[in-house]
Amino acid sequence: MAPWMASGLVYASGIALCAGSITLLYMSTRTFNFAAASLATIGFYVVYTGIQSLGGVPYYYYPFSFIVGALLGVICYYGLNRPLLKRGAVEITLMMSTLGYDLILLSFVQMYADYLTSAYKWFPRRVTLNHIDLDFQIFGARPSATLLPLIAIACLIILHLFLTRTKFGISMRATIENPILAGASGINSDRVYLVAWVIGGGMCSLGGAFIAQAQTGHPFMGATIIPLMFAGAILGGLHNLYGGILGGLVIGMTEYAGVFYLSQQFGPWVQGYRMGIPLLVMAITLIAFPRGLSGIPLKKYLDRMVDRKRGVSA
Amino acid sequence: MLKVEKLNSGYGKLKVLYDLDIEVPTKGITVIVGPNGAGKTTLLCSIMGINNIFSGNIIYDNEPVVGLLTHELARKGISYAPQMGNVFADLTVLDNLMMSGYMLPKEEAKDKSTELTDIFPVLKKFINRKAGTLSGGERRMLAIAMGLMKNPKLMLLDELSTDLAPIIAEKVMMEIARLNKELGITVLMVEQMAKRALEIGDTAYLLVSGETRYSGKADDLLHEPELCSMYLGIKPSDKKGKAFEIADQEGRE
Repeated sequence: MAPWMASGLVYASGIALCAGSITLLYMSTRTFNFAAASLATIGFYVVYTGIQSLGGVPYYYYPFSFIVGALLGVICYYGLNRPLLKRGAVEITLMMSTLGYDLILLSFVQMYADYLTSAYKWFPRRVTLNHIDLDFQIFGARPSATLLPLIAIACLIILHLFLTRTKFGISMRATIENPILAGASGINSDRVYLVAWVIGGGMCSLGGAFIAQAQTGHPFMGATIIPLMFAGAILGGLHNLYGGILGGLVIGMTEYAGVFYLSQQFGPWVQGYRMGIPLLVMAITLIAFPRGLSGIPLKKYLDRMVDRKRGVSA
Repeated sequence: MLKVEKLNSGYGKLKVLYDLDIEVPTKGITVIVGPNGAGKTTLLCSIMGINNIFSGNIIYDNEPVVGLLTHELARKGISYAPQMGNVFADLTVLDNLMMSGYMLPKEEAKDKSTELTDIFPVLKKFINRKAGTLSGGERRMLAIAMGLMKNPKLMLLDELSTDLAPIIAEKVMMEIARLNKELGITVLMVEQMAKRALEIGDTAYLLVSGETRYSGKADDLLHEPELCSMYLGIKPSDKKGKAFEIADQEGRE
Protein backbone atom coordinates (compact mmCIF):
# COMPACT_ATOMS: atom_id res chain seq x y z
CA MET A 1 0.00 0.00 0.00
CA ALA A 2 1.37 3.40 -0.98
CA PRO A 3 2.23 5.66 2.00
CA TRP A 4 -0.24 8.38 0.88
CA MET A 5 -2.99 5.77 0.74
CA ALA A 6 -2.16 4.43 4.20
CA SER A 7 -2.25 7.94 5.70
CA GLY A 8 -5.33 8.78 3.64
CA LEU A 9 -7.26 5.78 4.98
CA VAL A 10 -6.38 6.63 8.57
CA TYR A 11 -7.31 10.27 8.09
CA ALA A 12 -10.49 9.50 6.14
CA SER A 13 -11.65 7.09 8.85
CA GLY A 14 -11.29 9.88 11.42
CA ILE A 15 -13.11 12.44 9.26
CA ALA A 16 -15.85 9.85 8.58
CA LEU A 17 -16.51 9.37 12.30
CA CYS A 18 -16.58 13.13 12.91
CA ALA A 19 -18.89 13.73 9.91
CA GLY A 20 -21.15 10.91 11.10
CA SER A 21 -21.29 12.53 14.53
CA ILE A 22 -22.23 15.92 13.05
CA THR A 23 -24.95 14.28 10.92
CA LEU A 24 -26.39 12.31 13.86
CA LEU A 25 -26.66 15.40 16.05
CA TYR A 26 -28.12 17.49 13.26
CA MET A 27 -30.72 14.84 12.43
CA SER A 28 -31.77 14.32 16.03
CA THR A 29 -31.50 17.76 17.64
CA ARG A 30 -31.29 20.14 14.62
CA THR A 31 -27.90 21.24 16.00
CA PHE A 32 -24.85 21.86 13.84
CA ASN A 33 -22.24 20.90 16.39
CA PHE A 34 -19.28 23.26 16.11
CA ALA A 35 -17.89 21.78 19.31
CA ALA A 36 -16.92 18.80 17.11
CA ALA A 37 -13.62 20.64 16.59
CA SER A 38 -12.56 20.61 20.24
CA LEU A 39 -14.12 17.21 20.89
CA ALA A 40 -11.82 15.80 18.20
CA THR A 41 -8.81 17.58 19.72
CA ILE A 42 -9.67 16.26 23.18
CA GLY A 43 -9.96 12.74 21.75
CA PHE A 44 -6.40 13.07 20.52
CA TYR A 45 -5.14 14.43 23.88
CA VAL A 46 -6.72 11.51 25.74
CA VAL A 47 -4.70 9.10 23.58
CA TYR A 48 -1.57 11.23 23.86
CA THR A 49 -1.84 11.42 27.66
CA GLY A 50 -2.31 7.65 27.87
CA ILE A 51 0.70 6.88 25.72
CA GLN A 52 2.94 9.40 27.50
CA SER A 53 2.01 8.27 30.98
CA LEU A 54 1.39 4.54 30.60
CA GLY A 55 3.01 3.66 27.29
CA GLY A 56 1.59 1.25 24.71
CA VAL A 57 -0.07 1.96 21.38
CA PRO A 58 -2.97 4.33 20.60
CA TYR A 59 -5.50 1.47 20.23
CA TYR A 60 -5.48 0.89 23.99
CA TYR A 61 -6.78 4.37 24.65
CA TYR A 62 -9.53 4.62 22.02
CA PRO A 63 -12.28 3.44 24.42
CA PHE A 64 -11.23 6.15 26.90
CA SER A 65 -11.23 8.68 24.12
CA PHE A 66 -14.81 7.67 23.25
CA ILE A 67 -15.91 7.85 26.90
CA VAL A 68 -14.43 11.31 27.46
CA GLY A 69 -16.09 12.57 24.25
CA ALA A 70 -19.41 11.05 25.33
CA LEU A 71 -19.19 12.75 28.74
CA LEU A 72 -18.46 16.10 27.12
CA GLY A 73 -21.45 15.48 24.83
CA VAL A 74 -23.64 14.92 27.89
CA ILE A 75 -22.40 18.19 29.44
CA CYS A 76 -23.15 20.04 26.20
CA TYR A 77 -26.65 18.54 26.06
CA TYR A 78 -27.64 19.29 29.65
CA GLY A 79 -25.81 22.60 29.86
CA LEU A 80 -26.78 24.14 26.54
CA ASN A 81 -28.69 22.11 24.02
CA ARG A 82 -31.56 20.86 26.20
CA PRO A 83 -32.50 24.22 27.74
CA LEU A 84 -32.41 25.83 24.31
CA LEU A 85 -34.46 23.05 22.68
CA LYS A 86 -37.04 23.37 25.46
CA ARG A 87 -37.38 27.06 24.73
CA GLY A 88 -37.87 26.35 21.02
CA ALA A 89 -34.56 27.90 19.94
CA VAL A 90 -33.99 28.19 16.20
CA GLU A 91 -31.19 26.33 14.41
CA ILE A 92 -28.82 29.30 14.29
CA THR A 93 -29.06 29.75 18.08
CA LEU A 94 -28.42 26.06 18.65
CA MET A 95 -25.42 26.22 16.33
CA MET A 96 -23.94 29.34 17.94
CA SER A 97 -24.32 27.81 21.39
CA THR A 98 -22.08 24.91 20.33
CA LEU A 99 -19.55 27.43 19.01
CA GLY A 100 -19.45 28.96 22.49
CA TYR A 101 -19.00 25.50 24.01
CA ASP A 102 -16.21 24.84 21.52
CA LEU A 103 -14.36 27.99 22.61
CA ILE A 104 -14.67 26.95 26.27
CA LEU A 105 -13.31 23.48 25.46
CA LEU A 106 -10.51 25.01 23.38
CA SER A 107 -9.49 27.13 26.37
CA PHE A 108 -9.37 24.02 28.54
CA VAL A 109 -7.28 22.23 25.91
CA GLN A 110 -4.81 25.15 25.89
CA MET A 111 -4.60 25.14 29.68
CA TYR A 112 -4.15 21.38 29.69
CA ALA A 113 -1.33 21.61 27.11
CA ASP A 114 0.39 24.27 29.20
CA TYR A 115 -0.04 22.18 32.32
CA LEU A 116 1.53 19.13 30.66
CA THR A 117 4.45 21.26 29.50
CA SER A 118 5.14 22.86 32.87
CA ALA A 119 4.41 19.88 35.12
CA TYR A 120 5.83 16.98 33.07
CA LYS A 121 8.10 18.69 30.53
CA TRP A 122 6.22 17.03 27.64
CA PHE A 123 5.72 18.73 24.26
CA PRO A 124 1.95 18.54 23.75
CA ARG A 125 1.75 21.42 21.27
CA ARG A 126 3.29 19.45 18.41
CA VAL A 127 2.74 15.72 18.57
CA THR A 128 3.18 13.00 15.99
CA LEU A 129 1.65 9.66 16.86
CA ASN A 130 1.89 7.95 13.46
CA HIS A 131 5.15 6.20 14.34
CA ILE A 132 3.59 4.55 17.42
CA ASP A 133 1.88 1.45 16.13
CA LEU A 134 1.78 -2.33 16.47
CA ASP A 135 4.95 -4.12 15.47
CA PHE A 136 3.88 -5.69 12.18
CA GLN A 137 2.62 -4.70 8.75
CA ILE A 138 -0.65 -5.33 6.95
CA PHE A 139 -0.62 -5.10 3.12
CA GLY A 140 2.91 -3.70 3.35
CA ALA A 141 1.82 -0.71 5.40
CA ARG A 142 1.50 0.21 9.08
CA PRO A 143 -1.38 -1.67 10.75
CA SER A 144 -3.37 1.51 11.50
CA ALA A 145 -4.01 1.93 7.75
CA THR A 146 -6.12 -1.24 7.86
CA LEU A 147 -7.21 -1.36 11.50
CA LEU A 148 -8.60 2.16 11.79
CA PRO A 149 -10.90 1.86 8.75
CA LEU A 150 -11.97 -1.52 10.17
CA ILE A 151 -12.72 0.07 13.55
CA ALA A 152 -14.69 2.81 11.77
CA ILE A 153 -16.65 0.17 9.83
CA ALA A 154 -17.24 -1.79 13.06
CA CYS A 155 -18.59 1.41 14.69
CA LEU A 156 -20.90 1.87 11.70
CA ILE A 157 -22.14 -1.74 11.90
CA ILE A 158 -22.73 -1.50 15.66
CA LEU A 159 -24.59 1.78 15.14
CA HIS A 160 -26.63 0.24 12.32
CA LEU A 161 -27.58 -2.76 14.46
CA PHE A 162 -28.42 -0.47 17.36
CA LEU A 163 -30.68 1.69 15.19
CA THR A 164 -32.43 -1.15 13.39
CA ARG A 165 -32.55 -4.05 15.86
CA THR A 166 -33.01 -2.56 19.31
CA LYS A 167 -36.20 -1.04 20.69
CA PHE A 168 -34.38 2.08 21.83
CA GLY A 169 -32.58 2.42 18.48
CA ILE A 170 -35.85 2.21 16.55
CA SER A 171 -37.41 4.71 18.95
CA MET A 172 -34.45 6.97 18.19
CA ARG A 173 -35.19 6.77 14.45
CA ALA A 174 -38.86 7.39 15.18
CA THR A 175 -38.05 10.48 17.26
CA ILE A 176 -35.67 11.81 14.63
CA GLU A 177 -38.39 11.44 11.98
CA ASN A 178 -41.38 12.72 13.94
CA PRO A 179 -40.78 13.97 17.51
CA ILE A 180 -44.47 14.82 18.13
CA LEU A 181 -45.75 11.42 17.10
CA ALA A 182 -42.92 9.76 19.02
CA GLY A 183 -43.94 11.68 22.15
CA ALA A 184 -47.57 10.67 21.57
CA SER A 185 -46.35 7.06 21.41
CA GLY A 186 -44.85 7.43 24.88
CA ILE A 187 -41.23 7.82 23.76
CA ASN A 188 -39.26 10.22 25.93
CA SER A 189 -37.50 12.38 23.34
CA ASP A 190 -35.28 13.87 26.05
CA ARG A 191 -33.61 10.49 26.57
CA VAL A 192 -33.25 10.00 22.81
CA TYR A 193 -31.47 13.34 22.41
CA LEU A 194 -29.19 12.53 25.34
CA VAL A 195 -28.16 9.23 23.74
CA ALA A 196 -27.57 11.05 20.44
CA TRP A 197 -25.14 13.39 22.25
CA VAL A 198 -23.43 10.44 23.97
CA ILE A 199 -22.89 8.65 20.65
CA GLY A 200 -22.13 11.87 18.76
CA GLY A 201 -19.61 13.13 21.33
CA GLY A 202 -17.92 9.74 21.55
CA MET A 203 -17.68 9.30 17.78
CA CYS A 204 -16.21 12.76 17.31
CA SER A 205 -13.61 12.27 20.00
CA LEU A 206 -12.65 8.88 18.57
CA GLY A 207 -12.42 10.45 15.10
CA GLY A 208 -10.00 13.05 16.46
CA ALA A 209 -7.85 10.31 17.99
CA PHE A 210 -7.74 8.61 14.54
CA ILE A 211 -6.82 11.81 12.72
CA ALA A 212 -3.83 12.36 15.02
CA GLN A 213 -2.46 9.06 13.62
CA ALA A 214 -2.16 10.72 10.21
CA GLN A 215 -1.45 14.37 11.03
CA THR A 216 0.42 16.37 13.62
CA GLY A 217 -1.62 16.80 16.78
CA HIS A 218 -1.88 20.27 18.38
CA PRO A 219 -4.47 22.24 20.36
CA PHE A 220 -5.93 23.75 17.15
CA MET A 221 -6.07 20.45 15.30
CA GLY A 222 -9.87 20.25 15.47
CA ALA A 223 -10.32 23.87 14.43
CA THR A 224 -8.15 23.21 11.35
CA ILE A 225 -10.12 20.23 10.14
CA ILE A 226 -13.66 21.19 11.11
CA PRO A 227 -14.51 22.52 7.62
CA LEU A 228 -13.80 19.03 6.30
CA MET A 229 -15.96 17.38 8.95
CA PHE A 230 -18.86 19.60 7.91
CA ALA A 231 -18.04 19.05 4.24
CA GLY A 232 -18.32 15.30 4.84
CA ALA A 233 -21.67 15.68 6.61
CA ILE A 234 -23.04 17.96 3.88
CA LEU A 235 -21.72 15.72 1.11
CA GLY A 236 -23.52 12.83 2.78
CA GLY A 237 -26.81 14.67 2.59
CA LEU A 238 -27.19 15.77 6.25
CA HIS A 239 -30.28 13.62 6.75
CA ASN A 240 -28.66 10.24 6.47
CA LEU A 241 -26.23 8.93 9.05
CA TYR A 242 -24.63 6.41 6.69
CA GLY A 243 -24.40 9.13 4.03
CA GLY A 244 -22.55 11.35 6.52
CA ILE A 245 -19.99 8.66 7.29
CA LEU A 246 -19.55 7.89 3.59
CA GLY A 247 -19.23 11.62 2.87
CA GLY A 248 -16.48 11.94 5.48
CA LEU A 249 -14.65 8.98 3.99
CA VAL A 250 -14.84 10.47 0.47
CA ILE A 251 -13.70 13.91 1.70
CA GLY A 252 -10.75 12.44 3.62
CA MET A 253 -9.58 10.19 0.79
CA THR A 254 -9.95 12.83 -1.95
CA GLU A 255 -7.76 15.20 0.06
CA TYR A 256 -4.89 12.72 0.21
CA ALA A 257 -5.40 11.28 -3.28
CA GLY A 258 -5.86 14.74 -4.79
CA VAL A 259 -2.73 16.16 -3.18
CA PHE A 260 -0.70 13.12 -4.22
CA TYR A 261 -1.72 13.18 -7.88
CA LEU A 262 -1.84 16.94 -8.35
CA SER A 263 1.54 17.53 -6.69
CA GLN A 264 3.04 14.96 -9.08
CA GLN A 265 1.52 16.84 -12.02
CA PHE A 266 2.01 20.45 -10.94
CA GLY A 267 4.60 20.42 -8.19
CA PRO A 268 4.63 20.57 -4.39
CA TRP A 269 2.96 24.03 -4.24
CA VAL A 270 -0.36 22.17 -4.53
CA GLN A 271 0.10 21.15 -0.86
CA GLY A 272 -0.87 24.67 0.19
CA TYR A 273 -4.32 24.20 -1.33
CA ARG A 274 -4.94 20.69 -0.02
CA MET A 275 -8.21 21.54 1.73
CA GLY A 276 -9.59 23.06 -1.46
CA ILE A 277 -9.54 19.71 -3.27
CA PRO A 278 -12.17 17.88 -1.18
CA LEU A 279 -14.26 21.04 -0.91
CA LEU A 280 -14.25 21.29 -4.71
CA VAL A 281 -15.31 17.64 -4.93
CA MET A 282 -18.13 18.41 -2.49
CA ALA A 283 -19.29 21.42 -4.52
CA ILE A 284 -19.29 19.48 -7.81
CA THR A 285 -21.13 16.53 -6.25
CA LEU A 286 -23.77 18.80 -4.74
CA ILE A 287 -24.32 20.56 -8.07
CA ALA A 288 -24.93 17.16 -9.68
CA PHE A 289 -26.81 15.67 -6.72
CA PRO A 290 -28.25 18.44 -4.50
CA ARG A 291 -29.29 15.94 -1.84
CA GLY A 292 -25.72 14.68 -1.46
CA LEU A 293 -24.42 11.14 -1.71
CA SER A 294 -27.45 9.68 0.06
CA GLY A 295 -29.66 11.28 -2.59
CA ILE A 296 -27.97 9.52 -5.51
CA PRO A 297 -30.58 7.18 -7.00
CA LEU A 298 -28.21 4.20 -7.12
CA LYS A 299 -31.01 1.69 -7.60
CA LYS A 300 -32.29 3.57 -10.63
CA TYR A 301 -28.81 3.60 -12.19
CA LEU A 302 -28.27 -0.09 -11.43
CA ASP A 303 -31.65 -0.99 -12.92
CA ARG A 304 -30.81 1.06 -16.00
CA MET A 305 -27.45 -0.73 -16.33
CA VAL A 306 -29.12 -4.13 -15.99
CA ASP A 307 -31.72 -3.16 -18.60
CA ARG A 308 -28.99 -1.98 -20.96
CA LYS A 309 -27.08 -5.25 -20.53
CA ARG A 310 -30.21 -7.25 -21.16
CA GLY A 311 -30.89 -5.16 -24.26
CA VAL A 312 -27.34 -5.85 -25.54
CA SER A 313 -27.54 -9.60 -24.90
CA ALA A 314 -31.02 -9.76 -26.47
CA MET B 1 -63.21 11.64 31.11
CA LEU B 2 -61.74 14.96 29.91
CA LYS B 3 -62.64 18.49 30.85
CA VAL B 4 -61.18 21.65 29.32
CA GLU B 5 -61.89 24.74 31.38
CA LYS B 6 -61.39 28.35 30.30
CA LEU B 7 -58.49 27.36 28.08
CA ASN B 8 -56.40 30.07 26.46
CA SER B 9 -53.64 28.61 24.31
CA GLY B 10 -51.72 29.05 21.07
CA TYR B 11 -48.34 28.94 19.40
CA GLY B 12 -45.46 31.02 20.76
CA LYS B 13 -47.03 34.33 21.75
CA LEU B 14 -49.94 33.92 19.35
CA LYS B 15 -53.23 33.15 21.10
CA VAL B 16 -55.58 30.88 19.16
CA LEU B 17 -58.09 29.59 21.72
CA TYR B 18 -60.09 31.95 23.95
CA ASP B 19 -61.69 30.77 27.21
CA LEU B 20 -62.64 27.45 25.72
CA ASP B 21 -64.78 24.99 27.70
CA ILE B 22 -65.14 21.43 26.47
CA GLU B 23 -66.27 18.26 28.15
CA VAL B 24 -65.65 14.80 26.73
CA PRO B 25 -67.96 12.18 28.25
CA THR B 26 -66.61 8.68 28.94
CA LYS B 27 -67.14 6.08 26.19
CA GLY B 28 -68.69 8.60 23.83
CA ILE B 29 -67.59 10.18 20.56
CA THR B 30 -67.11 13.92 20.86
CA VAL B 31 -66.73 15.77 17.59
CA ILE B 32 -65.10 19.17 17.18
CA VAL B 33 -66.08 20.86 13.94
CA GLY B 34 -65.54 24.29 12.53
CA PRO B 35 -64.10 26.22 9.60
CA ASN B 36 -60.39 26.49 8.79
CA GLY B 37 -58.40 28.34 11.42
CA ALA B 38 -61.02 27.79 14.12
CA GLY B 39 -58.44 26.27 16.49
CA LYS B 40 -59.53 22.62 16.28
CA THR B 41 -56.03 21.21 15.89
CA THR B 42 -54.72 23.72 18.46
CA LEU B 43 -57.17 22.27 20.98
CA LEU B 44 -55.82 18.74 20.49
CA CYS B 45 -52.22 20.00 20.58
CA SER B 46 -52.99 21.84 23.84
CA ILE B 47 -54.42 18.69 25.40
CA MET B 48 -51.29 16.78 24.33
CA GLY B 49 -48.93 19.40 25.77
CA ILE B 50 -47.49 20.33 22.39
CA ASN B 51 -48.21 24.06 22.30
CA ASN B 52 -48.32 26.96 24.77
CA ILE B 53 -51.07 27.15 27.36
CA PHE B 54 -51.50 30.70 28.66
CA SER B 55 -54.25 29.99 31.18
CA GLY B 56 -57.02 27.55 31.95
CA ASN B 57 -57.22 23.98 33.04
CA ILE B 58 -57.30 20.54 31.47
CA ILE B 59 -58.56 17.75 33.68
CA TYR B 60 -58.19 14.14 32.59
CA ASP B 61 -59.48 11.32 34.76
CA ASN B 62 -60.05 13.81 37.61
CA GLU B 63 -56.43 14.95 37.48
CA PRO B 64 -55.05 18.26 36.14
CA VAL B 65 -52.66 17.55 33.25
CA VAL B 66 -51.52 21.02 32.17
CA GLY B 67 -47.72 21.09 32.15
CA LEU B 68 -47.25 17.38 31.56
CA LEU B 69 -45.07 16.39 28.61
CA THR B 70 -46.52 14.58 25.59
CA HIS B 71 -44.97 11.21 26.47
CA GLU B 72 -46.25 11.50 30.04
CA LEU B 73 -49.79 12.07 28.76
CA ALA B 74 -49.41 9.10 26.42
CA ARG B 75 -48.43 6.98 29.41
CA LYS B 76 -51.61 8.05 31.16
CA GLY B 77 -53.68 6.45 28.40
CA ILE B 78 -54.26 9.26 25.90
CA SER B 79 -53.46 8.40 22.31
CA TYR B 80 -53.14 11.03 19.63
CA ALA B 81 -53.19 10.70 15.84
CA PRO B 82 -52.10 14.01 14.29
CA GLN B 83 -53.55 15.23 11.01
CA MET B 84 -50.22 15.20 9.20
CA GLY B 85 -47.31 12.91 9.91
CA ASN B 86 -49.44 10.38 11.76
CA VAL B 87 -47.18 7.43 10.89
CA PHE B 88 -43.40 6.98 10.90
CA ALA B 89 -42.82 6.90 7.15
CA ASP B 90 -39.29 5.45 7.38
CA LEU B 91 -40.29 2.56 9.63
CA THR B 92 -42.10 -0.61 8.58
CA VAL B 93 -45.76 -1.10 9.47
CA LEU B 94 -44.71 -3.57 12.18
CA ASP B 95 -42.12 -1.16 13.63
CA ASN B 96 -44.77 1.59 13.60
CA LEU B 97 -47.07 -0.61 15.66
CA MET B 98 -44.28 -1.70 18.00
CA MET B 99 -43.21 1.91 18.54
CA SER B 100 -46.77 2.87 19.41
CA GLY B 101 -46.72 0.09 21.97
CA TYR B 102 -43.42 1.43 23.33
CA MET B 103 -44.68 1.41 26.90
CA LEU B 104 -45.89 -2.19 26.73
CA PRO B 105 -43.65 -5.20 27.48
CA LYS B 106 -42.24 -6.69 24.25
CA GLU B 107 -44.40 -9.83 24.25
CA GLU B 108 -47.55 -7.90 25.00
CA ALA B 109 -46.75 -5.42 22.21
CA LYS B 110 -46.26 -8.33 19.78
CA ASP B 111 -49.58 -9.91 20.76
CA LYS B 112 -51.33 -6.57 20.50
CA SER B 113 -49.88 -5.89 17.03
CA THR B 114 -51.09 -9.33 15.87
CA GLU B 115 -54.52 -8.60 17.31
CA LEU B 116 -54.66 -5.24 15.51
CA THR B 117 -53.55 -6.66 12.18
CA ASP B 118 -56.47 -9.06 12.54
CA ILE B 119 -58.79 -6.09 13.06
CA PHE B 120 -57.19 -4.21 10.14
CA PRO B 121 -56.37 -6.99 7.60
CA VAL B 122 -54.97 -4.47 5.12
CA LEU B 123 -52.05 -3.89 7.51
CA LYS B 124 -51.23 -7.58 7.72
CA LYS B 125 -50.63 -7.59 3.97
CA PHE B 126 -48.06 -4.80 4.23
CA ILE B 127 -46.59 -5.65 7.63
CA ASN B 128 -42.95 -5.46 6.48
CA ARG B 129 -43.42 -2.54 4.11
CA LYS B 130 -42.32 0.98 4.99
CA ALA B 131 -45.31 3.04 6.12
CA GLY B 132 -44.30 5.80 3.68
CA THR B 133 -45.24 3.54 0.78
CA LEU B 134 -48.85 3.01 1.96
CA SER B 135 -51.82 4.77 0.36
CA GLY B 136 -53.66 7.55 2.21
CA GLY B 137 -56.43 5.25 3.44
CA GLU B 138 -53.98 2.57 4.55
CA ARG B 139 -51.98 5.16 6.46
CA ARG B 140 -55.09 6.34 8.30
CA MET B 141 -55.90 2.74 9.22
CA LEU B 142 -52.33 2.35 10.48
CA ALA B 143 -52.64 5.61 12.44
CA ILE B 144 -55.81 4.34 14.15
CA ALA B 145 -54.18 0.96 14.83
CA MET B 146 -51.17 2.78 16.30
CA GLY B 147 -53.50 4.71 18.54
CA LEU B 148 -55.06 1.46 19.73
CA MET B 149 -51.72 -0.23 20.47
CA LYS B 150 -51.48 1.58 23.78
CA ASN B 151 -54.86 0.30 25.01
CA PRO B 152 -55.94 3.92 25.32
CA LYS B 153 -58.73 5.25 27.46
CA LEU B 154 -59.03 8.33 25.27
CA MET B 155 -58.23 8.71 21.57
CA LEU B 156 -57.63 12.12 20.03
CA LEU B 157 -58.06 11.97 16.25
CA ASP B 158 -57.15 14.97 14.14
CA GLU B 159 -58.89 15.15 10.75
CA LEU B 160 -58.28 11.57 9.79
CA SER B 161 -60.38 11.94 6.66
CA THR B 162 -58.24 14.72 5.14
CA ASP B 163 -57.11 14.01 1.56
CA LEU B 164 -59.03 10.75 1.44
CA ALA B 165 -61.43 9.71 -1.30
CA PRO B 166 -65.02 10.01 0.04
CA ILE B 167 -65.53 6.25 0.08
CA ILE B 168 -62.30 5.68 2.05
CA ALA B 169 -63.12 8.55 4.43
CA GLU B 170 -66.47 6.91 5.10
CA LYS B 171 -64.74 3.60 5.79
CA VAL B 172 -62.41 5.30 8.27
CA MET B 173 -65.41 6.92 10.04
CA MET B 174 -67.19 3.59 10.22
CA GLU B 175 -64.11 2.02 11.72
CA ILE B 176 -63.96 4.72 14.42
CA ALA B 177 -67.65 4.23 15.24
CA ARG B 178 -67.16 0.46 15.39
CA LEU B 179 -64.10 0.70 17.69
CA ASN B 180 -65.96 3.06 19.99
CA LYS B 181 -68.90 0.68 20.20
CA GLU B 182 -66.94 -2.56 20.48
CA LEU B 183 -63.99 -1.48 22.66
CA GLY B 184 -65.72 1.33 24.54
CA ILE B 185 -62.90 3.79 23.84
CA THR B 186 -63.67 7.45 24.41
CA VAL B 187 -63.02 9.42 21.22
CA LEU B 188 -62.40 13.12 20.75
CA MET B 189 -62.19 13.81 17.05
CA VAL B 190 -61.61 16.92 15.04
CA GLU B 191 -63.13 16.87 11.57
CA GLN B 192 -63.54 19.16 8.62
CA MET B 193 -65.87 16.71 6.88
CA ALA B 194 -68.42 17.80 9.42
CA LYS B 195 -71.51 15.94 8.22
CA ARG B 196 -69.92 12.53 8.29
CA ALA B 197 -68.35 13.15 11.71
CA LEU B 198 -71.55 14.48 13.25
CA GLU B 199 -73.38 11.41 12.00
CA ILE B 200 -71.22 9.12 14.14
CA GLY B 201 -70.69 11.53 17.07
CA ASP B 202 -72.61 11.77 20.35
CA THR B 203 -71.54 15.23 21.47
CA ALA B 204 -70.42 18.09 19.26
CA TYR B 205 -68.72 21.44 19.59
CA LEU B 206 -68.60 24.03 16.87
CA LEU B 207 -65.49 26.20 17.11
CA VAL B 208 -65.22 29.51 15.31
CA SER B 209 -62.14 31.76 15.68
CA GLY B 210 -61.07 29.99 18.86
CA GLU B 211 -64.43 30.26 20.60
CA THR B 212 -67.34 27.86 21.06
CA ARG B 213 -70.42 28.68 18.98
CA TYR B 214 -72.31 25.49 19.69
CA SER B 215 -72.14 22.72 22.24
CA GLY B 216 -74.61 19.92 22.60
CA LYS B 217 -75.77 16.75 20.89
CA ALA B 218 -74.06 16.04 17.58
CA ASP B 219 -77.32 15.14 15.92
CA ASP B 220 -78.89 18.43 16.98
CA LEU B 221 -76.13 20.46 15.32
CA LEU B 222 -77.12 18.89 12.02
CA HIS B 223 -80.52 20.49 12.51
CA GLU B 224 -79.18 24.00 13.04
CA PRO B 225 -79.64 25.45 9.54
CA GLU B 226 -77.83 28.70 10.19
CA LEU B 227 -74.73 27.22 11.82
CA CYS B 228 -74.56 24.34 9.36
CA SER B 229 -74.66 26.49 6.27
CA MET B 230 -72.58 29.38 7.63
CA TYR B 231 -69.70 27.49 9.22
CA LEU B 232 -69.80 23.92 8.00
CA GLY B 233 -70.94 24.28 4.42
CA ILE B 234 -73.52 21.51 4.76
CA LYS B 235 -77.26 21.33 4.32
CA PRO B 236 -79.09 20.53 7.55
CA SER B 237 -80.46 16.99 7.50
CA ASP B 238 -83.27 15.27 9.29
CA LYS B 239 -82.00 11.77 8.79
CA LYS B 240 -79.11 9.68 10.08
CA GLY B 241 -76.35 9.32 7.50
CA LYS B 242 -75.11 6.23 5.77
CA ALA B 243 -71.98 5.82 7.91
CA PHE B 244 -74.02 5.81 11.08
CA GLU B 245 -76.48 3.27 9.74
CA ILE B 246 -73.71 0.93 8.60
CA ALA B 247 -71.87 1.29 11.92
CA ASP B 248 -75.12 0.51 13.75
CA GLN B 249 -75.68 -2.51 11.58
CA GLU B 250 -72.14 -3.81 12.11
CA GLY B 251 -72.50 -3.25 15.83
CA ARG B 252 -75.63 -5.38 15.87
CA GLU B 253 -73.93 -8.14 13.89
